[in-house]
Amino acid sequence: MKPIVSAILFMAIVCAVPAAAHTPLCACYNNGDDTVTCEGGFSDGSSAAGVQMRVEDASGKMLIKGKMDANSEFNFKKPDGTYRVIFDAGEGHVIEIDGKDILE
Amino acid sequence: MKRIIIAATLLSLLLAAPVMAHFQMVYTPQSALAKAGSIDLKLVFTHPFEAGHTMDMGQPEQFFVVHKGKKADLLSTLKPVVWTSLTNSGAAYEASFKLRGMGDNVFCLVPSPYFEKEEDSFIQQITKVVVNTGGFPTDWDAPVGLPAEILPLDKPYALWTGNVFRGVVLSEGKPVPNAKIEVEYLNHAPLMDKNAFAKTAAVEAPQDAFVTMTIKANAAGEFVFGIPRTGWWGFCALGVGPAKAFKGKALSQDAVIWIQARDMK
Repeated sequence: MKPIVSAILFMAIVCAVPAAAHTPLCACYNNGDDTVTCEGGFSDGSSAAGVQMRVEDASGKMLIKGKMDANSEFNFKKPDGTYRVIFDAGEGHVIEIDGKDILE
Repeated sequence: MKRIIIAATLLSLLLAAPVMAHFQMVYTPQSALAKAGSIDLKLVFTHPFEAGHTMDMGQPEQFFVVHKGKKADLLSTLKPVVWTSLTNSGAAYEASFKLRGMGDNVFCLVPSPYFEKEEDSFIQQITKVVVNTGGFPTDWDAPVGLPAEILPLDKPYALWTGNVFRGVVLSEGKPVPNAKIEVEYLNHAPLMDKNAFAKTAAVEAPQDAFVTMTIKANAAGEFVFGIPRTGWWGFCALGVGPAKAFKGKALSQDAVIWIQARDMK
């Protein structure tokens, strides 16, 4: 009986993260007022709400940490100097966006 | 005798003229973009396979875009232009739109009914085109709620050459059994800077039935079309809208959608 329960539990866990089976997508744009908005999602159309977001400087030092909100968006104040945004939905589902590619 | 021969020749030439379909175009060069940015759109009422006679468009009734379920009115962004076909020129419109973020942008045009003298009736082709950024699907499979509409069952911007495109013909949101659909290939590249069609045709039709292909939807209003070539294809479900008359004359309210296929290479 126990293995079945474990299997069901395991299934439940696997099924609870359906988005992980799909390609992660993230795009950021400069709002023109020194703030940046990033939108996330998965290729099947599912939301990225709750996905870890990080903003790092050139040396990899973390400047801002946060999460995709209920609308699958993440807003932050644009750092001075070189930066990059990391969308981290777990192993194999990480996207890095260079700050210089984030335009209005 | 000579005159009769000339007349007969002329007549046969006239009769041999390909049966071409009117198609409302809402054209932009790329339907699937890696990133958001500004795009240009051209609204032309023409015969796309032959780049033939281009009709004068009147002031459109509606032009808007749906993104993440939100509708933005774009009617005030339209600018009149003159579009040059291979045989004439006609009144058309252009617009510029700044795409933001990721997702589908469903552009919808409800043109003013066009009076077709030859048929003594009006045509109104309600037209959709979907532009996606970043590969994130958001709106392509939701009905906009147009009176006449083709609802895609395959993303109209993510098609390889050789894929099929499937759709459902809707009239006020309900499937139209056995709807008649015309399919036409955009055979002459639109030149965005010149507001004209390129003179060179991509393909030659072996016979008239290949210029405007006519297919039928099944009993559930669904149709399937295998896409044989890269580029833009237009689908027009004829007379499916609820409005049947305009200014005391017959009106054909049609539903148009444009799709873009890409070669695997």
